[in-house]
Amino acid sequence: MRTSLFLAVAVALATATGAYAHHSYAATYDITREVTIEGKLVQFVYRNPHSFVHVVAANANGGSERWAVEWSGTTQLGNAGVTKESLKVGDVVVITARPSRVAGEYRALMLRLKRPSDGFTWGSPGQQVD
Amino acid sequence: VLRASLLALIGATVAAIAVAPLSAQPPRPANPPDIAGEWTLTNNEEDTTAQPPLGDYLGIPFNAAGRQRSDTTAESIWGTPEYQCRPHSAPHQWRGLGGARILKEQDPLTREVKAYHIQFMRSLDWPVFMDGRPHPPAWAPHTWTGFSTGEWIGNTLKITTTHLKDGYLKRGGPQTSDMYSMTDYLTRHDDVLTIVTSVDDPIYMDEPYVESTTYTIDLTSNVAMETCNGTAFAENGGTDRHHVPHFLPGQNTALTEWLKKDDWIPVEPTRGGVVTMYPEYHAPATGASNAASLTVPASKTAIDAAKSIGGQSPRDGQVHILPVQGNIYMLIADGTNVTVSMGPDGVMLVNTGAASMSGKVLEAVNQLANQTVMPPAPNSCFGVNCPGAWGWASPYMNAIISSPAPPRPIRYIVNTSAAPEDVGGNAQIASAGFFPRGASFGRAVESIGRHASIFAHENVQIRMADAPAASQPTDTFFDEFQKLPEYFNGEAVILYSAPAANTDGDSFVYFRHSEVISAGNLLSSVSYPVIEVDRGGSIQGVIDGLNRILDLAVAEYRGQGGTWVIPGRGRLSDTADVASYRNMMTMIRDRVKDAIARGMTLAQVKASRPTLDFDPRFGSTTGPWTTDMFVEAAYKSLQEKQ
Repeated sequence: MRTSLFLAVAVALATATGAYAHHSYAATYDITREVTIEGKLVQFVYRNPHSFVHVVAANANGGSERWAVEWSGTTQLGNAGVTKESLKVGDVVVITARPSRVAGEYRALMLRLKRPSDGFTWGSPGQQVD
Repeated sequence: VLRASLLALIGATVAAIAVAPLSAQPPRPANPPDIAGEWTLTNNEEDTTAQPPLGDYLGIPFNAAGRQRSDTTAESIWGTPEYQCRPHSAPHQWRGLGGARILKEQDPLTREVKAYHIQFMRSLDWPVFMDGRPHPPAWAPHTWTGFSTGEWIGNTLKITTTHLKDGYLKRGGPQTSDMYSMTDYLTRHDDVLTIVTSVDDPIYMDEPYVESTTYTIDLTSNVAMETCNGTAFAENGGTDRHHVPHFLPGQNTALTEWLKKDDWIPVEPTRGGVVTMYPEYHAPATGASNAASLTVPASKTAIDAAKSIGGQSPRDGQVHILPVQGNIYMLIADGTNVTVSMGPDGVMLVNTGAASMSGKVLEAVNQLANQTVMPPAPNSCFGVNCPGAWGWASPYMNAIISSPAPPRPIRYIVNTSAAPEDVGGNAQIASAGFFPRGASFGRAVESIGRHASIFAHENVQIRMADAPAASQPTDTFFDEFQKLPEYFNGEAVILYSAPAANTDGDSFVYFRHSEVISAGNLLSSVSYPVIEVDRGGSIQGVIDGLNRILDLAVAEYRGQGGTWVIPGRGRLSDTADVASYRNMMTMIRDRVKDAIARGMTLAQVKASRPTLDFDPRFGSTTGPWTTDMFVEAAYKSLQEKQ
């Protein structure tokens, strides 16, 4: 009974966190495409309603771009064991994400994150930004 | 279609309530129902989040402009610095999750309800005044909650809201202009509160959009509050803080994605439009619809758009005064705004209006000056040892027997351009002022004339070379900005150049302690900006100038208020309004640039109507600055850059 209640609360919180979002995911991101971003993490904003990571990644022209990747809120991330200490500025990460619908925009929605240095991952089945 | 029918039925009901003669309305009950308390969202015609899929305009009486505005708006606009802390738009508030709280504010003398305050999770306080006060003038600012008054019609509270900012009708696509009004009808039956909302947007819709929402009283709920914790960090990635996400017309390919799943719905009604909302409308999955031949009893908007827009900058031969913030006042002077700084150092004007209005502008300035003169302080200390007594026997005698000192004179005039409506009053108004320039030794100040100092960019002076000497700038600057040499009325005043904007000599003025920017012709709430290409103007220069204003301005709370921005023409604005204007200019620039890149001639670009979705709000087919002239200026200035 206690477990059921805990689960119910957890689901409610997760739903509420998603519902607080100001914008629509489906309207913001192209949910039919994926991009891979490999670069150095320069900012990790652990917050509600959604967290963000900023990654500077090389582009095709030999320069670099600053990507903003939208992630889950703190409740969802916390449930998955991700805390504000989990990622550090300077970490090299590989991110798979849904790109923005606006061409040329360096914004994306997190699908999977991996830190090759220690194998830290997020985005296994059941872990998605809600 | 079911939803459309339901909306039509509700619309007819609301229309019946709205048009019923006063005598037929039930009287205000002696004890109106108590609507105060905590309420929980129960249901509405759609899903509870009221977030339709991208491109779903079913049941929205969009016109072509509203449809295009929604098609070309990108959802990631919410990641731009000026949008991140905004509350939900007013029409969406009842639909947003998190419940509603309604509070009563009472008159302490009579204990009558003088205002209701309605709050949602992602909102500001929404006051509904019940004390009979009028709505503000058209030149007053617009806000997220607007200005609301309420009245009881039987057991229904009717709330009328005006002065709303632009935003979204529903999350994820359908947009509103800033000229809509909203009427809510709140009816309580036992523990259920039904809200019927009519959104009347004369810019983007052919008739009011009507929706209903139901709440249930909940003694245990407590409306949550979502704080803004993401100010101005780059949610959209990249490093261009002025990036404006949008789609070129016809290039938003996601609008029908949702129909792959709901493939029984014909595309035509998903594009909205008043005809598609009525039961007589038929759109079979295959074959032609009857839209073209259908006549429906459209109830029309109740708002005269042209009159409402014109009212923000009335050409009525009068000068109206709007106190802004700190030292600053806005004079609405027959179609042009004059900014006034008033204080102990005297008066500074940004622009002087048309020559024909000089007398009335001076009258208004004198009226303000007399109102703000500090009266002599009454005696609060007796005897020669009082602080500041300077050894006089009766230091406060003059406080009793004398009248206030005369107001300080007009010392500075700033011209943000050489346009006649900005410099027309220079000669008469400057000659009524006085700037104490140092005379030579032994000579009186009069020997070099008593005259206010007129500041402007040096290109303004060049443009005015043939004007009478008394109206020409006396002090000019050529750099990126020019600080006044010392505080004026207790604050720094900085003139910023806006190169190649409306002309090659435009500027705007920042009053740094009052937190007010006088934007000159960069901003107008009643027209597209006037861009004189043959005088060095360009659409890119206007965008750069607006971005510079946004860089300086800071919102007070939830993306509104804070730094006030006085437009050259139109209503008082803030960062949100400047961002909307900047966004529009950026979208039009990109459309015209794209057309040029595709080899289109000026005539072809005009025919393609790159301003279609903004024309009902800012366009004109007559007068000194038409839409055609604006598009031509944009085209030529962008072509020159290539």
